[in-house]
Amino acid sequence: MTLSASAPATTTRPVITAWSAVSPYGIGKDSFAAGVLAGQDTSAPLDSGQWAAPDSHACLIPGFELREVLGKKGTRSMDRVTGLAVTAVRDLLRDSGDRRTASDEETALVLGTTTGSAQSMMDFTRASLEGDKPFYVDPSLMPNAVMNCAAGQCAIWHNLKGPNTTIAGGRVAGLSALSYAAGLLASGRARTVLSGAAEEFSNARAWLDHHRRGEDGADALLGEGCAMFMLESADPADAADRALAEVLAVQSRVYFDDDPGEALAACVDGVLRRGGVDRDDVWAVSTSAPAGNAGTREREVLTARFGAQVLDRAPSMSAVGDTAAASAAFQIGSLLAAAEQSAVPAGAVALVSSVDDNGVVACAALRLSAR
Amino acid sequence: MSVNVSDATRDDAATRVVLTGFGVFSSIGVGADEFAEGLRAGRSGAKPITLFDTEGFAHANGCEITGAEPERWIHNLPTETLGRATQFSVAAARMAVEAAGADLDDLRARRGMISIGTTDGESYELDHLVGTEVASGPQAMDPTVARRVYPNRLSVAAAQELGLSNVEAVTIATACSAGNYAIGQGFDAIRSGEVDYALCGGADAMCRKTFTGFYRLGTIAPDVCRPFDVDRKGILTGEGAGVLMLESLASARARGARIYAEVLGYGMNCDAYHQVAPNQDSVARCMEIALENAGVKASEVDLISAHGTGTKANDVTESRAIHDVYGDTVPRTVSLKSMLGHTMGAASALAAIACALSIHHGFIPPTINHRETDPECEIDCVPNQSVEADLRIVQNNGLAFGGNNAIVILGKYQEGVR
Repeated sequence: MTLSASAPATTTRPVITAWSAVSPYGIGKDSFAAGVLAGQDTSAPLDSGQWAAPDSHACLIPGFELREVLGKKGTRSMDRVTGLAVTAVRDLLRDSGDRRTASDEETALVLGTTTGSAQSMMDFTRASLEGDKPFYVDPSLMPNAVMNCAAGQCAIWHNLKGPNTTIAGGRVAGLSALSYAAGLLASGRARTVLSGAAEEFSNARAWLDHHRRGEDGADALLGEGCAMFMLESADPADAADRALAEVLAVQSRVYFDDDPGEALAACVDGVLRRGGVDRDDVWAVSTSAPAGNAGTREREVLTARFGAQVLDRAPSMSAVGDTAAASAAFQIGSLLAAAEQSAVPAGAVALVSSVDDNGVVACAALRLSAR
Repeated sequence: MSVNVSDATRDDAATRVVLTGFGVFSSIGVGADEFAEGLRAGRSGAKPITLFDTEGFAHANGCEITGAEPERWIHNLPTETLGRATQFSVAAARMAVEAAGADLDDLRARRGMISIGTTDGESYELDHLVGTEVASGPQAMDPTVARRVYPNRLSVAAAQELGLSNVEAVTIATACSAGNYAIGQGFDAIRSGEVDYALCGGADAMCRKTFTGFYRLGTIAPDVCRPFDVDRKGILTGEGAGVLMLESLASARARGARIYAEVLGYGMNCDAYHQVAPNQDSVARCMEIALENAGVKASEVDLISAHGTGTKANDVTESRAIHDVYGDTVPRTVSLKSMLGHTMGAASALAAIACALSIHHGFIPPTINHRETDPECEIDCVPNQSVEADLRIVQNNGLAFGGNNAIVILGKYQEGVR
C-alpha cells in the first residue's frame, strides 16, 4: 500500500541524503562548497543598466539567466525566485540520482521564503495603477504574485505530488522548513521530503529592505539563492548509509522587545535537550549574523555558551551577503561542505542558529556523518 | 493496510485533538457567536469595495470587513506596526485564547505552536507602497509601512501580543488552502507530543493586487457569489481571519474546556499539473487521503464544506471529484464563500470554524444567492436556507493555486467514542 497518509509513522530522526545549492558562487553545490570554504567574496557592483536598487553592491548568482539555465519552454512568465527553486530542486533530484525510493505521491516539497517575489507582487499592482485601464495586467503573471508560486512550479516541473508547502519564515525559513519536513516524515505523510529555502535579489526587495532597516543597517549587502535538501527517514538501513547528516532536533522561539538573546539561549538549550546532545559535544556553531543588534546578541549568547573557537569552525556566510530566507539553508549547506573535509571529527555535532529581526529565532542540531 | 503509529494510541486522550475556542473576523460577523448567527441566517457579506480605489472596473463588489475594530483585541503591540492582515490575525488569536477560556500564564509554561495560513501576506500594505512609488518614486516609501510587509508577522506578532515565547510561530503561505494546512500542522504537532496546544488558522486582507488578478481572469462575479449555480459568474474577494484553539483531549479535559469538535485527521497533496486550474483526480485523491488519515469511511460523512469558489471551473471540477469519491451517495455540500466571499488564506480556517460550529449547534449553513443548481455539479448545496441537522462527521475542502490541496475532517466529540 502506497498511500502517503498511511505510510508508517516513524520515530527515528530524519537524515539528509542529498543537497543542492544555487548561490552567488554559481549553480551547483560544488561551487558553493568551494567558495564558502575559501571564504571567497561574491560582492560586485550592481549594473545600473539592469537594476534600479538603492544599493551599490550585491551578491548575485553569476550567469543566472532563467531561459539559459532552464530552457525556453515553460519559462516565459517565470520569475526569478521560482527559477531559483526549480533549478535547485532539479539539481537535488540529480544529486540523489536513482537512490530516491519514494513515489511521486510520497515525495513532499517544503520551501521557505520571505514573501515569495516582492517584485512580482509589486509589479502586478503597478501595472494596474499605471495602465490605461486598471485591469490591463498580464494574467499569465498572476500566479507569480502569490507566494506559493515557486513551490507549485517545482511540483509541476518535477512531478512532486506529495504535500507541497510554502513557509513564509523570513531568515529562519530554512529551519522552519526543516522542522516541518521532519514532521511530515514522523507523521507518515511523506517518505521523502525536499526541503529548503529561496530568496531572489530584486529592486523591490532592495527598496523594502532599505526602508525597513533605516539608518541602523545602512551598509547591508543583499545576496540571493536557494539551497535544497533531501530528507528521509533513517529507518531503512540504506538511508542511514547514505546520510550526510542526521537531524537531531529543530526548534524555534519568539522574542519580544528587540532582544533575541534570552529566546535564543532557551532555544539552543531546548535543541540540545531534544537532540540528546551535550554542550561539550558541539563541534561547530553556524551563526546567521544579521546586521545590527540582533547579530551582536546572537554572537554574544552563542560565544558565552560554546566559545569563540566553536563558532569560528563553521564557515562564515558573510561573503554571500544577506540571503534572507535562504540564509539558514545556506548555513546548513556550509556545514555539509565543511563535513566533507577531513578535519571534521566523525559524528561531530553542528548547530545552526538563525535570528530574524521580526521577532523569531531558530536552532537546529545536526550530526554530521563521517566521510 | 499499514499501521499508523497513532492508530494504536488513538483512544489515548493525549493524541486526540479537539477544538476549544475560535477567533473570527469575517464580513458576516466577529466572534464565534455572531459568526454562527450569520451562518444560520445565511447572511451576505457582499458590498461595494471601499478599501482601495475601484474606478475603472466595471463592477467591484467584495466581502470587506467594516467596523470590526481588531485593535480592541490588541493590547500590547502598537497597531501602526501591524499590517491589516496581521491585525486580523493577532486579534483573532487573542479572541481564540479568550474564547477557549485558556489562561495565558498556563500557556506560557507550556510548549505551543502558532500556525497562520495566508495567500497574500501583507499585499494590502505592498499595494500602498506601490502607490507611493508610482506617485513619488521608491525613495518616498514610508518606512513604517515597509516594516509591516513581512508575512512572518502574521504568526510572530500574535505570539508577541500574547506574550508567548516558547512557541513555534509559522506563517504558511500555500494560498487559498493555507488555513487547512495550518490546522493540519497543529494537529500533527499535538499528536506527536511536540506541542501542548496550537493556535491555528488563516488571515488575509483584501487587496488591489488579487482583486485585479481575478478580475482580469474574468472570475470576479458582477454582483454576488453563486456557488454551484448554473449562472455562477465567479468569486467575490473577501478578507478576515479565523483562528482555532487546538489542544489534546487530555488538556481540554484537565481544564474543563468546552469542546466544539474533534479534529479527526487531514490530507494534503499537490496536483503537479497546472498553476491555476484544479485537477479532478488529484482533488479526489486528496479526499481519500484525508478520509483515510481520519479513519473515516466516505459513507460516514454527513456534510462537505466545499472549496466552492463560485467559478465555472472550480465548482464543476470539485463536485465531480466529490462524486468520484462518494459515488451516488454524496453528502450535502455547501459553499461558505457564498456568504463570506473568498477570504483567501483565511477561507479554509473560517470554513473549519463554521464546520465545528455547525457540528456543535446542529445545523447546516446554506449556500446563499442560489437559484438553479448547475446540472453539471449534481449536488445538494442546501440552497438559501440553513437546515437543522445532527452532524457527526464533516469534511472541509481547501484547494489552491499551485495545486495545493488540503482537506480537514472534523467530528462531533463524543466521550470514549470516535
